[in-house]
Amino acid sequence: MIELKNIEKYYSSKGIKHYVLRHVTTTIKQGEFVSIMGPSGAGKSTLLNILGMLEEPTYGTYEFMEEDVTRLNERKRIELYRNHIGFVFQAYHLIDEMTVYENIEAPLLYKKVGGAERASRIADLLDRFNMVAKKDLFPNQLSGGQQQLVGIARALAAQPSIILADEPTGNLQSAQAEEIMQLFQKLNKEDGITIIQVTHSEKNAQYGSRILNIADGVVKDDITLTAV
Amino acid sequence: MFKLNLKIAWRNLWKNKFYASINITGLAIGLTAFVLLLLYVNYEESYDTWSPELKNVYQVREFHSYSAPDNKQYWQTSNESRIAALLNQNIPQITAVTKVENDWYQNYALTVKDRKSVMIKGIRNADSAFFKVMPYSFLKGNEATALSKPNSIVLKKDLALKLFGTEDIIGKTISIVRWEGDDITDFTVTGIVTEPNTPQSVSFSGIIHTGEFDKHNQNPTMHKYVEIYARLLRNADLNQLNANVQKVYINNLKTTFTNSQSSYADYLKSGNVPNCKLLPIDEAHQNPPFVAGWIKKIKPVSLIVTFLLLISIINFINLATAQSFQRAKEVGVKKVLGSSKGLLVRQFLMETGLQSLFALLICGVLIELFLPAFNQQLGLNISFWSNHKLFFILLQLFGLFLIITLLAGFYPAKVLSNYKPATVLKGTFSNSNKGLVLRNSLIVLQFVISVTLIIAIGAMQTQVNFMNQKDLGFDKSRVINISANYDEKIANDIRKVSGVQYVGATTQVIGNAFAYADKINFQGKKLNLNMVTVTMEAFPALGIKPLQGRLFSPLYKQDTVNTVVLNESAAKQLGGVVVGKQFRSYENVFQIIGVIKDYHAESFDKSIIPTIYKVTYLGGMSANGNLLVRFNSSHYQAIIGKIEGVWKKYYPNYPMNYQSLNDAFIHSLEDNSRFMNMIVIFSVISVSLSLSGLFALSTFVAKRRTKEVAVRKVLGASNMQIVNLLNKSFLHLVIAANLISWPIAYILIKKWLDGFAYRIDMPVLPFIIATITSLIIAVLTVSIQARKAAIANPVKALKYE
Ligand SMILES: Nc1ncnc2c1ncn2[C@@H]1O[C@H](COP(=O)(O)OP(=O)(O)OP(=O)(O)O)[C@@H](O)[C@H]1O
Ligand SMILES: [Mg+2]
Repeated sequence: MIELKNIEKYYSSKGIKHYVLRHVTTTIKQGEFVSIMGPSGAGKSTLLNILGMLEEPTYGTYEFMEEDVTRLNERKRIELYRNHIGFVFQAYHLIDEMTVYENIEAPLLYKKVGGAERASRIADLLDRFNMVAKKDLFPNQLSGGQQQLVGIARALAAQPSIILADEPTGNLQSAQAEEIMQLFQKLNKEDGITIIQVTHSEKNAQYGSRILNIADGVVKDDITLTAV
Repeated sequence: MFKLNLKIAWRNLWKNKFYASINITGLAIGLTAFVLLLLYVNYEESYDTWSPELKNVYQVREFHSYSAPDNKQYWQTSNESRIAALLNQNIPQITAVTKVENDWYQNYALTVKDRKSVMIKGIRNADSAFFKVMPYSFLKGNEATALSKPNSIVLKKDLALKLFGTEDIIGKTISIVRWEGDDITDFTVTGIVTEPNTPQSVSFSGIIHTGEFDKHNQNPTMHKYVEIYARLLRNADLNQLNANVQKVYINNLKTTFTNSQSSYADYLKSGNVPNCKLLPIDEAHQNPPFVAGWIKKIKPVSLIVTFLLLISIINFINLATAQSFQRAKEVGVKKVLGSSKGLLVRQFLMETGLQSLFALLICGVLIELFLPAFNQQLGLNISFWSNHKLFFILLQLFGLFLIITLLAGFYPAKVLSNYKPATVLKGTFSNSNKGLVLRNSLIVLQFVISVTLIIAIGAMQTQVNFMNQKDLGFDKSRVINISANYDEKIANDIRKVSGVQYVGATTQVIGNAFAYADKINFQGKKLNLNMVTVTMEAFPALGIKPLQGRLFSPLYKQDTVNTVVLNESAAKQLGGVVVGKQFRSYENVFQIIGVIKDYHAESFDKSIIPTIYKVTYLGGMSANGNLLVRFNSSHYQAIIGKIEGVWKKYYPNYPMNYQSLNDAFIHSLEDNSRFMNMIVIFSVISVSLSLSGLFALSTFVAKRRTKEVAVRKVLGASNMQIVNLLNKSFLHLVIAANLISWPIAYILIKKWLDGFAYRIDMPVLPFIIATITSLIIAVLTVSIQARKAAIANPVKALKYE
């Protein structure tokens, strides 16, 4: 599903290149659950942003579903966002002016999903995440964990094939974090959704099937976990 | 999607009530001014468009200097009456021509049997063809025959109802006294016409047909001036037509010289440019003779109104871009969810549209509120909802709505939709300074407009003071001007009233001046000078004293024969010391006995023309229309009552009309003071709009810099230092604006002052005052918010982050 070859990323200031990523080459297959780990400033978020096409690598090739991402035009990329990629953020990033219901609905509107279908999908998601009673609340009326659940529900609404999550539990207590990790695992196992997450927690990483360890912009370890 | 966006837009508006209300109110005010202007323009444009047949109606314009206030040639609406027949016979495309008496704006006394006399303006005499040219529709009576018999009258519906209270009046009689000395004439009502739905340049309340205009003027030395209108065949080619009209006119003019001593060549040599043309009647209103048409007059106003709208749009853009970082996250998330840029731009434009719509609604209310006052100020009768062009106006408003939404919304929408999700969603995104340069330049622009207006007000006030205090050359207090021709008998009777000092007459007095030039020959020099006939007591009545020599006096027998008094300008043209010298005019010899100071008979935009005053009728032209009465006390109201008693004896059917010269003077300044008032109102609005924008913006900046302020305070900055910090960011903008304003204001004021023949030098004080004022209020405005930020407890701000 994802092919990275010799990805490099640097920022130049005053003529000096500051490398964030170097020679990152890896393949991620459909159905994998990958955790990216590493010390702060290692380049994890940068790598995830590149995977999510939010940033462009300065060098290297990136193929997403057999398509060269660097040659993708704006329209194509929007198409990918609408149909294949779901994002989950550490800071949730729900739209403050929209209710829970409307936040989940937004991607479906962009995808032009019909009214009835939309309603049933949202109802389904609300049900699944136990948020039915909260559907008319605004984000600032929810706890952090609840907000993240909405964030995940929103990412799932468009039925993506991959979820990219940057420290999805970074702002949460361990109990809530565990709940979300279990949810990810379930989505990965039952629905076959590919998941790539950035995490600092060894424990969270254990829910996945593979760990990419990054330090100073270089992939140090690539560990495949065997299911317990 | 639309519904959701609308919901979000509404929630955002609600969340930012404060800014939104500043935006919307400002825009509503700007729009109101603009829509009033729009209504006014529509009104003026609609002149003479009330019937499709008017496309074939033309106004005849003769190029001549007769009755021009400065003796220069103009395309006048009053033409030699013989032109009517001339054109009718020689221009094949003309199907009908009518002669109409000029509108003297004079009250006529109208009496219906068993009712009280009423004074009515706009009763005009016309020949029998009037309604063959003007396509009025008749409510009562027959269009074809209404004016066929002498002494018939056709009324507008309003007047019919006013006089009779009913429309059933065909055949009834109205008795009319037109001028004070006239006998009563009875007119038979032959028709009622409906008031057209647009204003007319040939306006009237009633058309009378005395029969006098049907006759052709046979006396070649007698000139009669009337308005002439022609009905043409459809699709006349105007250029070709007018070439023909000019040819016919000039050929005819040449024939009039064959039996007089002077020749056509002499006529041309003395600077005359004979010409005559037809003007489509719907262009007549915007091309009045002597004065500027409404398009030119309205130019400065439209400029200011556009600026006002611009200022409110600028507020809009500034606040929107300043707020944009609030919306950045939303943009980032939506992009990641699959929204395209176009969709986002549309969303933000819709939000702007929503605010413009609110502004437009408020504007609708404001228009309803202000239209009556507006109408009254300008003496107009414009309506909004019952306007016959309402659909057209609403269409214009819709266009305006679109333009404003695009102007105000497009840039912020562009800025917002360009946010990159990667930067925005990192979580650390805060104060990007996107649009700061634009925002600052727009603030500068706002202040340039405001400061320029403040300077303009100062300069105009200085000029107004100058005009109010200027020595007019005559004494305007304790004098009234009765509109009547001079009659020695009545004058003597008025003189007998106790309290009356002098009774005189002249054609040269403020409020009603009339110029007539004649040739003179002074020591071989040939000149064309303004010639005014006055009575013996005219100068004393005006409080004018001689500079050199003496004034007219009954003690000198010669004064009724051939003596003249010059004003200073005329004396200067003749070489300075002129008392005792003589000049010739035609075969007459005149003796100069005195020189008086130039005195103002017109508003200050016109310079005083060199003038010769004489008592004798020798050389033509008599004093008329202005009977001046000077009192020996300033409490003369009771004396006027006694004069009216005298008047009644002579003119029982015609009430006395009079005006004090003080009022006439104030009236002559009215145009200017109206303009001045408008500038003041607009300046106040524009300054307050600019300040409200600045206030909102400073609130915003203060809020955005809360954390910085908190940190600085923790580090030991004083409140004053904090306030200064925030002030500095705006102050240099205001200073820049002042520097830019000065040359602009200088040029504009210079141009305005150039319109006055009597004006002040460029004043310096307004520049200084405007600069100081703008700096002080800007600092105060910003300081209110800055202080709030400064005295806030820093712990709160830091904890919150
Ligand atoms: N716009 C930028 N300009 C310059 N350097 C940048 C920019 N964005 C990121 N960096 C640098 O790139 C490096 C990697 O940043 P990144 O956010 O990927 O780290 P991370 O591994 O996600 O760290 P953390 O665990 O703290 O989130 C950092 O050293 C950072 O300073
Ligand atoms: Mg990171």
